[in-house]
Order: sequence, then C-alpha cells, then structure tokens
Amino acid sequence: MGGMVQDEGSSSVTSSPMQCFPLIPLSPAAQLMSPPVPWLRELKSDERGLCLIHLLHNCASHVAAGQLEHANACLEHISLLAAPDGDTMQRIASHFTEALARRVLRSWPGLYRALHPPAAPGRPPPDALLARRHFFDLCPFVRLAFVVSNQAILEAMEGERVVHVVDLGGPASDAAQWAALLQALRARPEGPPHLRLTVVHDHKEFLDLTAVRLTEEAERLDIPFQFHPVVARLDNLDVEMLRVKTGEAVAISSVLQLHTLLAADDAAAAVAGHRRKTPSPLAKNPSMAQLHRIVQMNYQGTLGELLEKDHANGRSPSQDSASSSSLALAPSPKTECFLASLWGLSPKVMVVTEQESNHNAPTLTARFMEALNFYAALFDCLESTVPRMSVERARIEKMLFGEEIKNIIACEGGERRERHEKLEKWVQRQELAGFRRLPLSYLAMLQARRLLQSYGCEGYKVREEDGCFFFCWHDRPLFSVSAWRFGRF
Amino acid sequence: MASTSSTVPFYGSIREEDEHNQMKQQQSASTPTSSTAAPQTTAPVKKKRNLPGNPNPDAEVIALSPKTLMATNRFICEVCNKGFQREQNLQLHRRGHNLPWKLRQKTTKEVQRRVYVCPESTCVHHDPSRALGDLTGIKKHFCRKHGEKKWKCDKCSKRYAVQSDLKAHSKTCGTREYRCDCGTLFSRRDSFITHRAFCDALAQESARIPTGLSTIGSHLFGNSSMALGLSQENSQITSLQDQSHQSSNILRLGGGSGSGSHFDPLISSSNPSPFRPPQPPPSSAFFLGGGSNQDFDEETRSHHSLLQNKPFHGLMQLPDLQSRTTASSSAAAANLFNLNFFSNSSSTSSINTSNITSNQNNHLMISDQFSSGNGSTESTTLFSGNFMSDHMAAGMPSLFNTSMRNESSLPQMSATALLQKAAQMGSTTSGGSSLLQGFSSASPSGAKNTSFQAIFGGGSNGSGDVLRFQMENETRLQHLMNSLANGNAGLFGGSGGVAAFGGNCTTGGHEQEAGGFGGFNSGLCNMDEARFQHNISSAGSLGGSDRLTRDFLGVGNMVRSMGGGVSQREQHHGIDMSSMDPEMKSGSSSQSFDGGTL
Repeated sequence: MGGMVQDEGSSSVTSSPMQCFPLIPLSPAAQLMSPPVPWLRELKSDERGLCLIHLLHNCASHVAAGQLEHANACLEHISLLAAPDGDTMQRIASHFTEALARRVLRSWPGLYRALHPPAAPGRPPPDALLARRHFFDLCPFVRLAFVVSNQAILEAMEGERVVHVVDLGGPASDAAQWAALLQALRARPEGPPHLRLTVVHDHKEFLDLTAVRLTEEAERLDIPFQFHPVVARLDNLDVEMLRVKTGEAVAISSVLQLHTLLAADDAAAAVAGHRRKTPSPLAKNPSMAQLHRIVQMNYQGTLGELLEKDHANGRSPSQDSASSSSLALAPSPKTECFLASLWGLSPKVMVVTEQESNHNAPTLTARFMEALNFYAALFDCLESTVPRMSVERARIEKMLFGEEIKNIIACEGGERRERHEKLEKWVQRQELAGFRRLPLSYLAMLQARRLLQSYGCEGYKVREEDGCFFFCWHDRPLFSVSAWRFGRF
Repeated sequence: MASTSSTVPFYGSIREEDEHNQMKQQQSASTPTSSTAAPQTTAPVKKKRNLPGNPNPDAEVIALSPKTLMATNRFICEVCNKGFQREQNLQLHRRGHNLPWKLRQKTTKEVQRRVYVCPESTCVHHDPSRALGDLTGIKKHFCRKHGEKKWKCDKCSKRYAVQSDLKAHSKTCGTREYRCDCGTLFSRRDSFITHRAFCDALAQESARIPTGLSTIGSHLFGNSSMALGLSQENSQITSLQDQSHQSSNILRLGGGSGSGSHFDPLISSSNPSPFRPPQPPPSSAFFLGGGSNQDFDEETRSHHSLLQNKPFHGLMQLPDLQSRTTASSSAAAANLFNLNFFSNSSSTSSINTSNITSNQNNHLMISDQFSSGNGSTESTTLFSGNFMSDHMAAGMPSLFNTSMRNESSLPQMSATALLQKAAQMGSTTSGGSSLLQGFSSASPSGAKNTSFQAIFGGGSNGSGDVLRFQMENETRLQHLMNSLANGNAGLFGGSGGVAAFGGNCTTGGHEQEAGGFGGFNSGLCNMDEARFQHNISSAGSLGGSDRLTRDFLGVGNMVRSMGGGVSQREQHHGIDMSSMDPEMKSGSSSQSFDGGTL
C-alpha cells in the first residue's frame, strides 16, 4: 500500500485514472517507467486471466479492424498484466500480444524489417531445434503420433517383403520414429522386410544425421535398409523425387507437415499459372467430376478427359473453382494436386498427423480465437507437467508455440505457413484425392494408451472417432491422426 | 474355444461333467489367460491354443451383461453362506453338508460350443467374429480391459483388475526387470523396447545438445512427471490455504477491532435524506447503505479522523485480499460507468468538477455522471437494454455451480478453463431479456439466494474460506461486467469507438481501483481519502454482519420491486452493485435510490 501511495504521490495529474480514457494513451512516464502498481501484482490469477482474455480479444478485434490507437491501448494494458514467466494465461498473453504487435508493425514494412530482419534461409535457429526436442520430450503428442503412425504402417505392411516408407518431413520429423519402426519390423513374426526410407526435409544436415543414425540402427538390428534423403520443401516436392519403384509397398507418413502445403496454395494463387505436375494415374480416372480441377491441371490427356473436364466445368460454373469443390473447402489446388500425386503412388497406407484446430480462417479474429484456445490447452499441458521456471519450458513456449502463434497471427499470404486445419477438412481433401479411410487399430490405441500411462499424467487422453485418433488434453482434442489407403473408385 | 481340445481327455477319465470340466479348465487356463492381453506370450500348452478371438464359426454366441460378467460367487450355500461361481460347484459343496445335491449330467457327447462376446461395444471382442472361447476368459477380459484395477502390487504399485494377474505379477515383480540406461525400470520386455526406441533417441540427441535434457526426458517417461505436477498442485493448495488464513486475519482485524462501532457514528452522522428511496426500504440496512453517501464536509472530516484511527489504518494496509475484493468490485463498477461515461465525452468535465467540488465518493459521482450523460443518445442506448441485469441473471447460477466445483478440484484455473469461462460469459451476454425474469424469479428462491446468504453471513462471521469464495464470486461478477462491456460494444452497432472503450475500460477500472474509489478524482489527496473511505465502507460491511446479510437480500427484493418504479438504467445499478459485493452495497443502494429520486 505504501508503495502505491508513493506511486501516486510521484505522479502528477497525468496519472489520474482518467487515463483509462483510451484515446489518451497512458502516459509512458507514469505507466511504463514507474514500477507496476502493486494491485496489479496482487490480482488473483483467475481474475487476471479473465481480464487478459478479454483484453486480448478486444485487442485482436482492434487490430483486425485496423484501429491501431485502440489496439495500442489494449496492448499497453496487457503488457501490465502479461508476463512470459508468469502463470499460464500471462504467458499466453505475452506471446499473443507479441504476435499482434508484429502484425500491427507489418503495416509499416520498413519499420518491421528494420526490427525483424528476415532470417537467413538456412538452418532454423538452434533454439528452435532445441524447442522441438523439448516438445518431443515433455509433451507426449509427437511420440504418440509416431507410435500410432508406426503401428498403422506396421499393420499395413504385414507380410510385405519390400517396404518403402516416405516421411514427408517437416520440423516435427524425427529419426526416433524410424528407429522405433526398425525395432518393430525386426520383431515381425515373418521377419523384417527390406526397408527403404525416404525422408523429405529442407535441411541437408538433418538428413545426414538421420541417415547415420538409422543406418547404424538397421545394421545393429540386421535389417536390410536403405536411406534415401530428399532435400526439398514440401511445396516444391515432385513425387518423382521420391523414386518409388514398382513392387514396393509404399507407406507415407506426415507428422504436422501437410498444412504447410496450404500456404503454398495461397502464395501460388498470386502467381498466375500453376506449374505442371507429373500426370498422376488419377488423371486416367475421369469418373470423378469433383476431381476436375486436378484433371485440369494435369491435363494432357485423352478426349475422354477433355469431355470430362468440359462436363465438370459445365456443371460447376468455371468462374468459381472455389465453390465448385462444394465441400466448403478453400481452394487449394496445390494441396489437392500434391495429395492426388501421392495417391498416384498407390500407397498401402498414408498416416497423417495434424493439429486439430482451424488456424486457417480467413479473418484474423476467428484465427485468433482458435489459436488462443488451442495454445491455451498446450500451455496448460506444460503448466501441469513442467515447473514454471524450467528453461526447457520457456524455450518450447517461446521458440515453438510462440513462433507458431506469431506465424498464425502476424503473417499473411505465403509466409503464413502454420495453417493448421481440423481433421474434417483433411478428410475432405484426402477423399477428394481418392484416398479411402483406413481405421486405426485397437492395438494402436493400446500402444498409445500405454505410452500415455508411462507419462503418468492424468490430463492426456487418446480418443477414437471413426477410426481416427485424437490426442487430447482433457476434453480438448489437440492433434489428430488419420490413416488412409489407396483406393480405387 | 480356449482349451476345449486340451481338456478332452478329462471327459473320459474323470467325469463327464462339462461344468466340472470348466472348473479344471479354469485352473489350467489361469496361466495362459494372460495371453488374451498379450498373444505373443502364448503358454506352452501341449495342444496349440487358439488365438484369442478366433471362435469356431458354428459356435453359439453368448452375450452376457457386464453385471453377470463381474458377478462373483452367484451360487450361495444356504448353510454356510459360502459362494460359488458355478452351480455345479455348489452342488458338490452341498454334498459335504449332507444336503441333497444333484449334478447336472452331461447329456450328449458333443458339447455345444459356446463363445462369448464382450459387452463393451467399442471393444474388438464385441464383434462375434472375435468372440472369446470360454466364460472365464471373457470375464477376465472384461475385468482387465473395462474394469477397475483394484489389485495393487505393494512393491511396484502396478495395478491389476484380476487378482490372479496380481498374483502372477507378484511372483516375478522385482525379479525380472529391464533397466534402461536412463534408469527407468520395466518389468515387461515389450514396454522396455518401446521405451528404448525413444530413449536411444534421447541419448543421441543429448550428446548433441548439452543441456542435461536427457534426464528430464527419461524421467518424464517414467512417473516423475506426476510427482512434479503433484508437488506443484500441493504448493498451490498451500498457497490457497495461506490466502484463506490471511483473509481470516483480515476479518478478525476488521470485525474484531470493533470497527463496527467505529462506523456507527459515521453512519449516523451521514445524512441519507437526499437519497431516500421512493419506496420504503425493505430493510434497515439501506440506511447503512445510504450512510456512505455522506454530506461532503462531514465526510472529509471523518476521513481525517479515520486517518488517525489505527484499526482502519491496519485494515487499509491489509494485503491482497482486502484490496482485491474491493478491487474487483470497484473495477467492475467503474467499467460500467466508464462505458457510459465514454459514450458521452462531455461528461468528462462534469465528473471532474463534481469530484472536485463535492469530494463525493464514487457512487455519488457516478450518479452525477449519469445525470449528465442522460442527454447523450449513446448513454441511453447503452443502458436501454436490460442486458446488464440479464447478464447477471444468466451468469449467476452457472457461476455458482462452476465456482463451487472449481473450488473443490482445481486450486487454480487453467487457461483452458478460463477461456471456457470467458466464452460462457460471452455467450450469456447475448442472452435475451427473458433472462431478467430468470433473475427476478430466481433471486428470492433457490440455491443462489441461499448461497449468497451463506457467503455474506459467513463473511461476517470471519470465515476465511467463505470470504475467499465470495471474492471469487465477485471476480466472476466483475468479469461478467467486463465481458458485458465488451459484448455491448458489439451490441451497439459495433462502432469501433465504443468497442474500444469497452476494452479499455476494463483495465481502466483496475487502475482506478488502485486509488480505491478515487478513480475519477483528479486530485491526489482525494484519491487517498476515497480509498480510505472505501476501506471504511468495506470494513463496515464486514463488521456489521447481520444487517448486511439482510440488507443484501433486501436489495435483491428491492430490485425486483423497483422494476416498475425506477427508470431502467438505475435499476441496473441496483442489481449490479448489490450483487457485486457487500462492501459496495452502501454505494449501490444509495445509487439506486439516487436514481429513483433523480
């Protein structure tokens, strides 16, 4: 109290609470320089949390509406309450405000670039890699995804002698998954197959490390193994680069990676004219009118295809390739094309792990709210398992969650790569591409449960729905895993 | 069919009783039954055992209810009350008592094969094609997979649903274990291998990353994370306890120091007459309420005297709890008024002047503000709807429920829970005016009312817990207000300006609260004084126990009755404030009366 009185004493009339009039920005002298008022510190965590949520929401709508004055005032208020090392809500708020601030700052590209020079397009900062590692260690989600994916692959590859596994890579990709698969294949009753592993990754270094590690492991386990690195980003990956040979049983695994394709779509939308992809076998199958877009893109074909295309275009007005998908999907020709070309590899199984949240809404506020809810649950996971002062936790929050949040909130266009979408959307896309759902097995569920048991934390759950799994934090699904198989129409 | 083939010799040699047979079968099957869980550990029986869930296609499929499956010893001996799982066994037992007994004779050579499906619809063995071959098997399966694990190993705390599993485990527990380099122990090879797959990764990575991370990871893989979480929770709990302890101290200070008596003169010195309500107050506490709207010179004088008054001084210095209660309420109030206030920019000056000239307390000032804000269209729209009270009405019952629950389970709300709460509050904002009825009808009856009474009654009795509870409650109310303010912005045509005010006022309110009720005062000393005054009023409410309780309820009634008589916006204040908190009551009641007279 004494401090408070002093504080008031030291500030003149400007510190009058009239400042809360939002058009008069808080005088920096009174608010930012002086130590925060004690009552702020004394606010109960719940109160502060609700207050922060409210402020964040307001701030987001101001930013969305371009009312920078108001947004600024909100940010100023939040800054008094938020703290990257405080309770969960404070931490969340500090990351979301940073994201919002960045977004605001982006309207002055000069300023923005001066403050945030574009990162060199090389390795991601080592801290980001570390954060990934910590996330892998401290939260069960990635491990769960690996375990379930591997189980699905294992089951689909039962009895196969030559197995080709394609890992679509991405930052969550990890050699651990394949080491585990090697172990599991080794234990097959019919003996291990010949395994060829293709990993797509944009960093050669990562691929080299993975290669060394897995080759050693395979040697140890005495499994015929071949590692095939593909240095590429998913959005410019040509399926030919995967070098799938006939006779191989193909399995495709994507862990938290497919959504990056959606960004490419956005970017590509600006660039007129799509690059031609290799003709997929899909194009030979013109019976699906809904695939007409793919057909269009792959178009090099027969009269029948031409007719089909005309038919499709006639049925759905050609001016809106967006609404013609009729599935409420945003137009994502690139993604669809890519999936269709994967389908063309006739994989026996394709396992897709994705974030179960829609961070690809067109409006900022919708995205913001979704992201807030999603990351709140993730922060809660950490809160309940990792002590607050943990360096690892701070790193995950800053370098992984924080970066994703920034990307979701602050970026637009091709730069916005974290376009997580819910399973329902992926189901539509996969089915559009010709995949059929492959229900995940009970055994996979058992393995997932066992893994969770070994974590010994109550909050994590695995839920099954229509043969797909959701990894939940309490009741909130955070990640989805679905398995797909090549199916003919 | 698990071991029908293997037990075939029994038919000839011992007795031709299939039930008895089953008993044997059960004994012999007790070891291999674990193979239902882990098919790879198929016991080395002479004849190869069928894989679980590959029944003979012509077998009769039997679906038993979970109750039957869980039932043990359904057949009771009437002599010694011993229970048996099978009737045949009971019959054999009866023979020992010299009671009449009868064993069912096997009728045909060919036993009708039976297979059993699991009643759990999500289970693979629910499907008749994966039915299990024997009754014991399905029972154990059901227990293991869908039952409670009530048998715990004393050594390693592993739990089992089937007692025999525990027995089997306890034979090997501690003898056969797999130890990973990271120190984690496993009793089963497969889980060890699963672990190794990841632990290897850890070892590899940690070689690259020198953070000592691998230990963390591996520990996490084991059980230590639970311990972590627990210890954290514990600390939270203790902190809560601390808090409540504190609060009880506060109460002791407030009440025990005889603050009530200090207030009496203050109250009596006040002149409530200008604020007399249009209707006779339902309880005397309204006078108490009016008391804080003192004559101005009187008030200043009392401030000075209070400054030297030790108990109050102490009270004022009381840490968070006290200030927080007041904080939340005042902030909420401020929000409300700020909204109005900001919509009418001209009222800025009027407030200032009113403050300066009259040195009123906040509530009075607000009423001024309202009178000045009256002319502006925005302010009227702002308060034309019933949403304020609606909101309260909608929020209250649910809040009570949730707060109760949270209280018991979570020491601190998680961000997810907070977001849910925020969303709830947001959704209640959009509720229709019918909610108002909900409030008025609900307030005199039902749990809500009693809980209020409990809160305030308890608070005045000095129970820290209750006070804390009350505080939380107030917080919620406050946030209801905030979200309301926010929601309103949308409601009112979504004009950006209003929205901004809604948002900013929230914290604006908090800032004000730093200065107690001096929120609108520009002068320094005014702020201090107002804060003192605020503390007084709160202390008063804490001290003057019974009357307040009645008062509160009275206000509730009052609110309802005022519905027709008083113009709507004042009614809002009545509702918000009265339900906000007892400390504010003085102000609130005066406000509503104020409004009535205006």
